[in-house]
Amino acid sequence: MTMTHPGLPDFWGLIIISLMLLGVIWVVFSPLPAQFNLSTFSLARLPLLGRGFRKLSASRWLLFSLKLIVVGFFLLIIIAGLFGTPIAERNIATVLTWNLWWSGLVFSIFFLGSAWCAVCPWDTLAQWLVKRKLWKRHHQITSLNLRVPRWLQNVWPALALFIILTWLELGVGITSNPYATAAVSLLMVVLATISLALFQRKAFCRYFCPVGRTVGYYSQLAPVELRPINHDVCLNCKTLDCYHGTDEVEPCPTWLVMGRLQQNSYCTSCGNCSQSCPHENIAWRLRSPSVEALHSARPHWDESWFMIGLLALTGFHGLTMMPFWEIWMSDLARVIGDSGRLLWSFSLGLTASVAVIASTYAILVAITKNVLGTDLPFKRMFSNFAFVSLPLAFSYHMAHNLNHLIREAGNIGSVFLNPLGIDTLPLSMMEKHQRQIDMWLSQDVIFSIQAGLMIFGFWIALQVVRYRGFKLVPAGTSFASLRLFPILMFAILVTGFHLWLLMQPMIMRM
Amino acid sequence: MKLLKLLAVLLACLVWSEAGFAHHVLGRPSYSLGEDSNTPPGMQIDTQIGNYFVTYMIFPAFPKAGERGRVNLYATRLDNGKALTGQVAFKVRDDVMFGDNNEEVLGTQSPDDSVFRQGFVFSGDGKYIITAEFTADGEPYSIDFPLRIGPPNSIGPIGFAVGAILIVLIGVNLIQRKRLLHTKIRRAHEETSR
Repeated sequence: MTMTHPGLPDFWGLIIISLMLLGVIWVVFSPLPAQFNLSTFSLARLPLLGRGFRKLSASRWLLFSLKLIVVGFFLLIIIAGLFGTPIAERNIATVLTWNLWWSGLVFSIFFLGSAWCAVCPWDTLAQWLVKRKLWKRHHQITSLNLRVPRWLQNVWPALALFIILTWLELGVGITSNPYATAAVSLLMVVLATISLALFQRKAFCRYFCPVGRTVGYYSQLAPVELRPINHDVCLNCKTLDCYHGTDEVEPCPTWLVMGRLQQNSYCTSCGNCSQSCPHENIAWRLRSPSVEALHSARPHWDESWFMIGLLALTGFHGLTMMPFWEIWMSDLARVIGDSGRLLWSFSLGLTASVAVIASTYAILVAITKNVLGTDLPFKRMFSNFAFVSLPLAFSYHMAHNLNHLIREAGNIGSVFLNPLGIDTLPLSMMEKHQRQIDMWLSQDVIFSIQAGLMIFGFWIALQVVRYRGFKLVPAGTSFASLRLFPILMFAILVTGFHLWLLMQPMIMRM
Repeated sequence: MKLLKLLAVLLACLVWSEAGFAHHVLGRPSYSLGEDSNTPPGMQIDTQIGNYFVTYMIFPAFPKAGERGRVNLYATRLDNGKALTGQVAFKVRDDVMFGDNNEEVLGTQSPDDSVFRQGFVFSGDGKYIITAEFTADGEPYSIDFPLRIGPPNSIGPIGFAVGAILIVLIGVNLIQRKRLLHTKIRRAHEETSR
């Protein structure tokens, strides 16, 4: 028998739909915003604590200690996955990777931006293996330092790897297989190491890593950023230590210059800039979480496809955990004559999910272009409005993952006591029920957070339509807000789909 | 025509969302306790082929070499839920990508309370494929299931990772040495020609 988590009650669904309706009415009938007011607060300017924050931003020891801890857990996952029990819910490899890390990662972005990338074990191990230094800058040339070929200088490889990872996760089912989880983890270390050994700086983080790019784009919506405390200092800087590095500190791994940094997408929060800046001018600061999606982030064709892909795959994750997904796959398998693991049926479902979202978006962008009567190229419109998909994907991703994180992480203590799950038995139905009862947040709190997230995502999506639309609407256009309705429709359709998914019972992963 | 059928099913899937009660995820192993007894856990895989929904179980879940184990197969029609009758032949072969897979017939079984039971004892650890073959509606059916005897080969992924990393690092090191040597020779040439 399969256990399911209850879906969001109708009461919350009605509240969300009502607020969506109010938001749409407001957008359609209010004038487009004339300008964006950017307000930030540097944590380095906090009274008393400011100096501490500045020191922490530049502390090598803190980062190194965190890396050591994360690498320790990573090695434990490898050992437990390869040598431990195949029972997924009893092995720390699957519980820690999929229930805690993969589910919790998206929440860490919500609070800490791309902080995960700073302690990522794939990159840390690759760095140690290739550079052969624990934290200081290496001066021996241990990498070929090749320029990344021009045709690879984009995020298409990361999107392709993300689709493959989704296929492995949901199609092949590595989430319920500790051995495969460990094998894939090792493969990521191999890929990161090869990239570091061949290419300049950290091409893997910038162009290839599906997790890094997901973290990067989502962190456009984070309320924190690593930026200069005083921009004038950067304007007058002649040495650009953040970009070139110093004798002791490596340069920015993703080719960023702090004085010109506008968006979090490629910042890995590694702290090299804050450690190398001779003026101690780099620190964390707080900001509005929507600033980049609304205003600062520059649209690019490949990145917009990654964002649309992220949205499609996020919804697809939810869809595959619905009880009726199995019936859909079963019907499809009968038509195409699939059997065994039904991987052909699954692959078709995955392709259809991505195609439906991408084509719906493309059609609505084309209609918006037509309604606006603008001469702007379709590609530019497509890239520009793709930021609408970020808050929609991010909010649903968090709302969905809340179920995994709260409802399925009940046995986390027991797997830490017996990480390899030696001599353990599968969870009995009684234990599964017990986990549902022993959640560390009550069901009502989970529902209210999920509803809040859906409203948050939709609200930011509306704002993206307004602010991004303002830049594209020709001056003097009548009913300017109303003409953006087609792209607004995209946000409505996607939020409606996500809400419907959240209101269904969801199959428990392990 | 097949494409049209496929599109029709996809469309039907999008508009029809009657909640059903799924079993285990199709094609994936799941482990379960014997709720009413002290028997060791079993492993179960649900899947479908043609007009049949097939449930395949292994007892115990983690069989070992030299110990008796059992495969249970239960198949029902997808349209009316009627259990499969007739006989099922069980065969086994090594799960290898290349080389001889040594197929052997385990036995042919008739249903016992609609379940086809086949016992086995393996002499060595390894990965095997069990093939269940039966005939229904005048059509032959053949379906493969994985069976692992003993623990998996844990050194494989580590060996692959270490090997791949070593090859890359050594390769890069050799190329770098060659590059340095070329640079030294070029500099020496430049200095002597001045």
